[in-house]
Amino acid sequence: MKVIVLLDQIQAGLGGKEKGDTPLGGKKLAMGAADTLDKALKKMDSEIIGPFYCGTDYYQANKAEVNRKVAKMSEKMGADVVIAGPTYDYRDFSTMACELAATIQKETTIPVVGLTAIEKNADLIQQYQDQITIVKMPKKGGTGLSDSIDHALQLCKMKVEGADFTDFINQYCY
Amino acid sequence: MQKKLEQILMPVAIKLGNNVVLRSLRDGFLIITPLIIVTSIFLLIGNFPIPGWTEFWSGILGPHWTEWFSAVSNLVFSFTGLLACFGISYAYGKNRGLQAIHTSAIAIISFLILTPTVVTVGKKSIGAIQTMYLGPNGIFLGIFIALVSVEIYRFAIKRNWRIKMPDGVPPAVSESFDALLPAGLVVLVFFLIRIGFSLSSFETAYNFIYTLLQQPLKGASNSLPSVLLYNFIAMLLWCFGINGPTITNSVWSPIFFVLTQDNLTAFQNHTQLPHIFTQQFIDIFTTYGGGGSTLSLLIVMLTVCKSKRVKELGKLAIVPGIFGINEPIIFGLPVVLNPIIAIPFIIVPVLNTLISGIVFQLGWVPYTNGVMLPWTTPPIISGWLSTGSWTGSVLQLFELVLGILIYYPFIMMIDRQYLAEEAEAAGLDDVDINFDEI
Repeated sequence: MKVIVLLDQIQAGLGGKEKGDTPLGGKKLAMGAADTLDKALKKMDSEIIGPFYCGTDYYQANKAEVNRKVAKMSEKMGADVVIAGPTYDYRDFSTMACELAATIQKETTIPVVGLTAIEKNADLIQQYQDQITIVKMPKKGGTGLSDSIDHALQLCKMKVEGADFTDFINQYCY
Repeated sequence: MQKKLEQILMPVAIKLGNNVVLRSLRDGFLIITPLIIVTSIFLLIGNFPIPGWTEFWSGILGPHWTEWFSAVSNLVFSFTGLLACFGISYAYGKNRGLQAIHTSAIAIISFLILTPTVVTVGKKSIGAIQTMYLGPNGIFLGIFIALVSVEIYRFAIKRNWRIKMPDGVPPAVSESFDALLPAGLVVLVFFLIRIGFSLSSFETAYNFIYTLLQQPLKGASNSLPSVLLYNFIAMLLWCFGINGPTITNSVWSPIFFVLTQDNLTAFQNHTQLPHIFTQQFIDIFTTYGGGGSTLSLLIVMLTVCKSKRVKELGKLAIVPGIFGINEPIIFGLPVVLNPIIAIPFIIVPVLNTLISGIVFQLGWVPYTNGVMLPWTTPPIISGWLSTGSWTGSVLQLFELVLGILIYYPFIMMIDRQYLAEEAEAAGLDDVDINFDEI
């Protein structure tokens, strides 16, 4: 399974809030939070082919361009699935992740899995939960992070294999 | 191993984190923390740890200039018990879904009902309240009153014991009448409690709580094993992505608060500082650059590591790290769910706690003065300001270097792994994904 992970500048290990102007980019190496996901994916004979990162301020200023490029690049790189997150309860990152996930879902055939905390994002989740599957995760510093990552990866596998994930969604997604 | 530990820790962490009483205690203290930080600055200016400071300014501003500053700091530090009652009753009322401003007001009245209002001066009795009842010694009484008064208030609200106003009455008026009967019940209960204590050998609720609860709890928690346990649990939880201090503070913060206030009072009165294990001790002498003492890790990343990713992150995170912000490294390295970094992340703060505890016990560094510095105050400066001695800075410097040595082999393992990945990626056309071609 070839996976693309969408991250903001904090989760990509490119600095804090002050680096919100980081332009859209990507590496062919696991970085930041993607490294944690990559270790778990390797146990499933899968890999991250590219963490895509984008500063949250840059995204806000260049929404259309970033959405178009992320969707196109995901297709071009032949991703089997895209994970949008983990966003924790970071509001700006959660917004970016949900919007990008919805675009990829709409404009490509690649399945998408979101990973977002309900805290600070209740309205956002309500807005997007019918369009994309969003796995429940804890807020920053909350309990259950490891389980939520496992759930996201399980859902990725199910989506790629075309398995029925209705029960899974009822249990672990919004 | 990681999974097993998580299975054991998770239920406890969830229970502690979700417990409404513990959460309210923590939130309540946070409400009054800004007041304490601001007034601490006034106290610090009046007692700056430079020889000749007071005399120098006395020559310019006159001999009473320190009183101007202590007037402000006294206003908060002499009322910390009452303020704790206010903050906790507000947080607890809010967390219980009640009108927090009402629960807060009624808790303060309950506190004053239990406070002696007559002071005997010589043979004369005058109507007054001694600040000893309202300050640090009254913190536990304040906590008790906050929790009990909100529970009684809630008891009445749940049973709908309220005076209903007709439609059309403004909400502020109707809410005020809503609170009438519940507030009356709270006042009645505390009135009876006051009478009960006045008939007992304790005479006051203050004496009862202070003797049977505050003193013994202070004694048990004011110890090196207690503080070691605090930091061990806090750091262990961080490794699972859980904000450890928010969990451990639920249990320890009332005690640390009391111990810190005791030192602050002594500092203000120029008497001997009584305690080692204050909130300042935890904040200033056990971790540097945030949880896990990650400033030491950042220094290794910046100076020794060779992989691009680690070095770049070191560069980006060092400045926030100096000011105690380690979010970029917690999520960016990442520290969470990273079994390699978990080991030093736990060991370094625990070892710092042990060393600092011993050094303070040996008297090599003066006890912390209780002045709450802004949490962004960098090490070296914070060590000096909190103890008034350069030895505090030296201890911090020593522990920073020790942290560097402990983090070194672990971050090098990650660095080597990243270097290998980067070398492998160098064989690819380009490591960076070029979005311009889209």
